[in-house]
Amino acid sequence: MSAAAPRGVARAALLLAWLALLALAAWTLGRHLRMEEDLRSFLPAPRTPAQVLLMDELGEGPGSRVLLLALSGAEPEVLAGRSQALRAQLAAQPSVAQVANGDHAGLDAIPGHLRPYRYLLSPTLDTQPLDAAFLHDELQQRVQDLGSPAADLVEPLLPSDPTLETLRLAEQWQPANAPERRHGVWFDRAGAQALLLVQTRAAGFDSAGQQQAVAAIRETFDATGSAADGVKLEISGPGAFAVAIRDRTEREMGWIGTADTLGLLLLLGLAYRRWSMPLLGALPLASGGLAGLGAVALLSGGGVHGITIAFGFTLIGVAQDYPIHFFSHLRPGQSPRDSVRALWPTLVTGVVATCIAYATFLFSGVEGLRQLAVFTIAGLAVAAACTRWLLPRLVTPARHDPADSRLLARLWQRVERLPRPRLALAVAGLLAAVVVAFAPGAFWQNDLSRLTPVPPADLQRDAQLRAELGAPDVRYLLAVQGGDADAALAASERLLPRLRQLQADGVLDGYDLAARYLPAAATQRTRQQALPDEAQLRATLAEALAGTPFREDAFEPYVEDVAAAREAAPLGVADLAGTPLELAVSGLLLRGDDHATALVSLTGLHDPQALAAAVAPLGAQLLDLKQASESLVAQWRMRLLGALAVAALLLAATVWLALRTPRRMLRVLAPMALATVLIVAVLRLCGVELNLFHLVSLILAAGLGLDYALFFDHAGDDRADQLRTLHALIVCSLTTLLVFSLLALSSIPVLRAIGSTVALGVLFNFVLALLVARRPAREVAP
Amino acid sequence: MLQAVARPAPSRTPFVELRDSPMLREPLRLQGEYRREADGSLVRQVDAPYRETTTLSAGEAVVQRDGRTPRRIALAQVPELAAVQAGFGALLAGDRALLEKTYTVSAEGAREAWTLRLVPRDPKLAAALRHIDLHGRGAELRCVENQPAKGPPQLTLMAGAAAAAAGVNDAAKLASLCRDGHR
Repeated sequence: MSAAAPRGVARAALLLAWLALLALAAWTLGRHLRMEEDLRSFLPAPRTPAQVLLMDELGEGPGSRVLLLALSGAEPEVLAGRSQALRAQLAAQPSVAQVANGDHAGLDAIPGHLRPYRYLLSPTLDTQPLDAAFLHDELQQRVQDLGSPAADLVEPLLPSDPTLETLRLAEQWQPANAPERRHGVWFDRAGAQALLLVQTRAAGFDSAGQQQAVAAIRETFDATGSAADGVKLEISGPGAFAVAIRDRTEREMGWIGTADTLGLLLLLGLAYRRWSMPLLGALPLASGGLAGLGAVALLSGGGVHGITIAFGFTLIGVAQDYPIHFFSHLRPGQSPRDSVRALWPTLVTGVVATCIAYATFLFSGVEGLRQLAVFTIAGLAVAAACTRWLLPRLVTPARHDPADSRLLARLWQRVERLPRPRLALAVAGLLAAVVVAFAPGAFWQNDLSRLTPVPPADLQRDAQLRAELGAPDVRYLLAVQGGDADAALAASERLLPRLRQLQADGVLDGYDLAARYLPAAATQRTRQQALPDEAQLRATLAEALAGTPFREDAFEPYVEDVAAAREAAPLGVADLAGTPLELAVSGLLLRGDDHATALVSLTGLHDPQALAAAVAPLGAQLLDLKQASESLVAQWRMRLLGALAVAALLLAATVWLALRTPRRMLRVLAPMALATVLIVAVLRLCGVELNLFHLVSLILAAGLGLDYALFFDHAGDDRADQLRTLHALIVCSLTTLLVFSLLALSSIPVLRAIGSTVALGVLFNFVLALLVARRPAREVAP
Repeated sequence: MLQAVARPAPSRTPFVELRDSPMLREPLRLQGEYRREADGSLVRQVDAPYRETTTLSAGEAVVQRDGRTPRRIALAQVPELAAVQAGFGALLAGDRALLEKTYTVSAEGAREAWTLRLVPRDPKLAAALRHIDLHGRGAELRCVENQPAKGPPQLTLMAGAAAAAAGVNDAAKLASLCRDGHR
């Protein structure tokens, strides 16, 4: 007893120190770790223009940052009032870049200091000389305008703008399919919903940023009215969907996590009859996870991609088995350190082989895969080291031996009587391979959006709101490049006649481009040169005024404005800062360091091929963003598969080195290979199209299978050791099966993909390792 | 009074309208007629000094001028036009509900010489238009007096008053004709 007490104190101290270190690491990481959600760092470098653009769109693109808001459930006047209040309040929110509800459209789209520029921005004078006949006709029209019921609206503009160029510009700048305005704000056609557009500061993929923006919108909505007025708010758009799926994932992970924890406690409690085991068993994995995060953060300057964390924790799940092997080999009369030492060669073979395999990801050329490799290698190594050197110092010697279990003994007798079906398994493998190759349906699922599915009702609602708001096609875009912003604008202007023709031919319903708001500098200069000088304009005006009821000096401000327009430097992108035009132009003109891309957004595109063919000679390209994203995913997968092929060879070589005979190597690797084929065959038979998450899960399943086979192969020399190994493998596979079967029940495709693949993998790998890899009886016999 | 003024469609009333602006040498004097068509639309047709037809119907105004393609304007985008339709358009149609939805209506005077004052309910419209006074005798709507938020009132003389205004160009005289001696 006297010796046990200090040892107990030392154990407690070590445990506390370990926990303290973990807490410190978690705290430090929590403070310094930057979670990246930018998909760009996870995907391979883009190659095609469409891919480059997709990356830009994913990063800074306006389309992904737009939220559609609809207010309904009350009288139109009430809705309009609420829309105005919401707009005013949201404009002050830091998470909201811009909010529009149709108010202040028209004249206010042109800030005062830009008004003299109207003659440079408007195309009117391109085809119409500013002569006395034209001006006289315009003045006659203005007389009629003054005599119309809308006179009050027009009168203030006339002295400086007798041709109403300002109104023409405002009309021209209206979105082609802008919603109708009622009570001053946008409404749907039925007049039942007030509509707003919100552009968030955070990018669309940044679900945390989107969550903030959506929360801010909801809070503001609640703050601008009471629940009693019955107004309902709906938010749609990519960001809102991201938030919804994030919430749903968190909810499901909540209950799955709780069920997992309870199940694991129960399983490990039953297996080891000691309360400390579940707690101690969690320490290596926790240490490995933190070490992996820390290693990635160190190597990449603090930023860890969200997908690295998700994939990484899936992959190092195999480390949960390390302490279980150790616990199952504890027995009275042997110190825990001796137990782990006996186990270590087998365990380390699996760890080293897996780590070497993951090291191939380092050379894949994709940042996301490199992060994943660093994460898993650091995580697995640390978890294994913890199991080897720290855990044995914490565990008290066992009071009973799993090998004493009579149930286990009976089970082992049966296992020994199991056949070793070589031919049958070879045939099964062949059949599975045939199924994999010839099952109907697509093999790969490249559509990223299918991973985070939006309920069909929400999608339909989104399409409806998008149509009401005249929002452009999210899949197709035209792009035309230039050396700088102005060159790109000029290049896109050359498309205009072709686009007008295509619109008339019914190929598309509408289009929008930055040059519609900001013509290229050369165009502005041409228009400037066409403007008359002051003397000339005064003469023309005097001639035009003859026979009209206007006073001779009524249009002095007009003469001043034209003179200002003649002298002004052409308007550039920078001059639009802070005006409502800035948003429209910046969304359609992407400026890089050494080039710029002008985009043409499309509405109601009926014939993509015809459009692509018609604009190709003018240097414009039709971009299919969906196809681009799918090709990027395919490229990512090709890199991963390439790395995996090398990894498989390296893994086989490592196992060969460790086991020394090709025969044993085959016995260990065959179950894992066969299991992989079987999993894919089952998934294909169930009509599942494989995505990246399936692939990562297959790698985890293979890693688990390798460990199972290694342990069955090296089950120990005596019967008791074999029983302990069987015990360990049963507990390992049951815990893993529990965790991943629960994931397979999830409604989220990503979780379901991981869960179903790994659960199948555990089943197949366990059974196959049992049939193939267990040490032949004659080798076991003493 | 509202019922008395209402006419079954189609109906027509001549009008004379005077419009002043600091940009004009003298006020613009428009002559023409207001019509209510069988389909319920309200037509404002100017005959002199130029020809222009404005048709207000189903949330839309169509403006036709000689030698030009018709211009279509959504009433929702020009509240001033909507105000005309909901104003005496509603009055002529006997659409009391529309009238009272858009304006607070108060009446004054006797059956022989009456005035209806319409004050816009919508604050945005009220920012541009203070009120509309409708002057009439018996069943006859004789004058519409728009009082904008800024500037002088704009007069539209109708029916008997329009006939009486023939050849009259003096603003004060026309105003007196419009108000028929009231106010």
